[in-house]
Amino acid sequence: MLQIHDLHAQVADDRREILKGLSLTVQAGEVHAVMGPNGSGKSTLANVVAGRETYEVTRGDILLDGESLLESEPDERAHRGVFMAFQYPVEIPGVSNTYFLRAALNARLKAEGKEEMDAMSFLKHIRAKVQLLGLSNDMLSRSVNEGFSGGEKKRNEIFQMAVLEPRLCVLDETDSGLDIDALQTVANGVNALRSPDRAFIVVTHYQRLLNFIVPDFVHVLMDGRIVKSGGKELALELEDKGYGWIEAEVGATA
Amino acid sequence: MSTAVEPSISLLGLEAWAERPAGPGWLRELKALALESHRALGIPTTKHEEWKYTPLRGLTERRWTPGEPGPAVFQQELPRHEPNSVRVVLVNGRFDRNLSESGTPSPVTGEGAGGGGLTAKSLRDALTEDEALVRPWLGQVRPRTTQAVGREIKPDSHTFAELNTVVFEDGLFLRLQGEIAPLVEIVHVSTGEGQAFAPRVLILAEEGSRARIVETYVSDGTGPTFILPVTEVIVKEGAHLEHVRVQDESPESFHIANWQTHQAPRSEYHSYNVCYGAALARVDQGIWLDGEDTVTRLDGVVCASGDQHIDNHTRLDHAFPNGNSFEIYKQVVDDRATVVFNGKIFVHQDAQKTDAKQTNQALLLSPTATIDSKPQLEIFADDVKCTHGATVGQLEDLPLFYMRSRGVPKQQAEAVLVYAFAAEVLELITHEGVRQSLEKRLYEKLGVDLT
Repeated sequence: MLQIHDLHAQVADDRREILKGLSLTVQAGEVHAVMGPNGSGKSTLANVVAGRETYEVTRGDILLDGESLLESEPDERAHRGVFMAFQYPVEIPGVSNTYFLRAALNARLKAEGKEEMDAMSFLKHIRAKVQLLGLSNDMLSRSVNEGFSGGEKKRNEIFQMAVLEPRLCVLDETDSGLDIDALQTVANGVNALRSPDRAFIVVTHYQRLLNFIVPDFVHVLMDGRIVKSGGKELALELEDKGYGWIEAEVGATA
Repeated sequence: MSTAVEPSISLLGLEAWAERPAGPGWLRELKALALESHRALGIPTTKHEEWKYTPLRGLTERRWTPGEPGPAVFQQELPRHEPNSVRVVLVNGRFDRNLSESGTPSPVTGEGAGGGGLTAKSLRDALTEDEALVRPWLGQVRPRTTQAVGREIKPDSHTFAELNTVVFEDGLFLRLQGEIAPLVEIVHVSTGEGQAFAPRVLILAEEGSRARIVETYVSDGTGPTFILPVTEVIVKEGAHLEHVRVQDESPESFHIANWQTHQAPRSEYHSYNVCYGAALARVDQGIWLDGEDTVTRLDGVVCASGDQHIDNHTRLDHAFPNGNSFEIYKQVVDDRATVVFNGKIFVHQDAQKTDAKQTNQALLLSPTATIDSKPQLEIFADDVKCTHGATVGQLEDLPLFYMRSRGVPKQQAEAVLVYAFAAEVLELITHEGVRQSLEKRLYEKLGVDLT
């Protein structure tokens, strides 16, 4: 589904290179965890896939279903099935969650040449998702993330994901700032959305989220490159030993 | 009245206007005084402090003729914010009985449920028929001079309001008694290339009355028009009035308005100044708080694009203790448009325990858009709470990216964010029909169909 090939990316403002030749292949139905120390480029990877303009790709490519994403605007990427759950979800006062999601969903349906959803069927659609994730209905009428607690914001990201039904979900440090209960709610939401034609990239600093969202593959990102890949047991090893031993290992082979 | 050609009037090409007949004797006196003031003030240039950012060249370069009566029937539909409202229509500054709701020669009365009474009639008729009600207020709704700590607080001068007094022939007299259930709509329509109109509106909200009104200005786009309306509002003791003013004229129109309100003790006046249209628009709004325990809102939403120039000057005089006032202006400026805001709040020496909040925020959407913003608080009482804040900003990248990452196209995402910025004020309007129609117009103006 997704092929990232020799990706180099820099901060547009100061041309500081963050990703330095990252390659990653993700198949439909798989869950990939990307772990790494602070400053290794995890969030940059998520943002570059979503099309954030503060980063510039200088080399390499990102292919979705064999076609490059790089020339697509962020909204076009969303229409092609890309979704990023933000590390810091943005507050938009004055715009209700319901309105926001309907605008987003209808824009995608329109881009796909399908008929837009009317207010009634849309309401039915989102009520079903509210139920699936065990959320409360009052979230719908509130302004997007305005005055939400940290946990509510993250739940709202997963809710948006459920409503928009993307094919490639990138979770950018979704576990940061969550207590264990909120973490479990968010993880349950993600697990409810796992399906054979949907893939996840879970970007995280800590292993604990992976107790709840069990990955098929774990990758270690260091200094802008994936330096080690393995199964879910790799995450446990990292939890146990930290990142230092990999640094040493990479240093030894380099 | 003098038959000599007034230089300022002739500057506008309106010589003939000054020679029109003037009505009853007391009115002729009023007009003569207004003429003197207007003559002394002339047409302001940008050297005048209150007109520093608003050059009137576009107005004075043209030749205007005094407005003629408009057509009896209109091709396009006239604005209506709410299907069940009572609507009165003024065409080219004249009260139009046929287009106004009752359709009878008698004034529009008694439409209000719950024992409320509504009188809406031609001001020209009211000048004689309702002299006792009209005469004490017409031209008198304005700040007075008071003394404070060794200096005088003076009212501002309004040359175009004086000109309106000199030349107006008709307009609307609206009297509100008791509780008026339906929305009252006042529609001003201007049509006729090169014509100037001076409608006069007098609104009398009687003691303890409750009502919601919306005053809408439109022009039909068949050529430049110039309107210089004056609206005077008296909110008597314990009365509660919501007043939405909508200026939605065609983009080649000129609009220079004066809007004065007098609030008696324990009254509430919630005003909203919505500015979408015209090539050049200037509104001077003044509110004189003439009694204790008043509540006042004077909010504004401005959306300017193309080469529009929209200027709002507001002045609030807290002259008595325990007044609460709130003022929020939200201004969106795109393309090469210019928006001016000047917000004066005077807290007079006697106005202890005043609580006044003023905020004005501008959103610049293009590098060639301009905003000139000047909050002006003058406080002569010592036990008061007054705050003001002014911000100028651009659309932030992050909310935009957030929306786009969910699939909302760029143009729509921008419009939604701009809308959300302005909606903070529109959402305060309690009448749902008015609020929705203004939101819809805002979306149209932002060029996005979001139905």
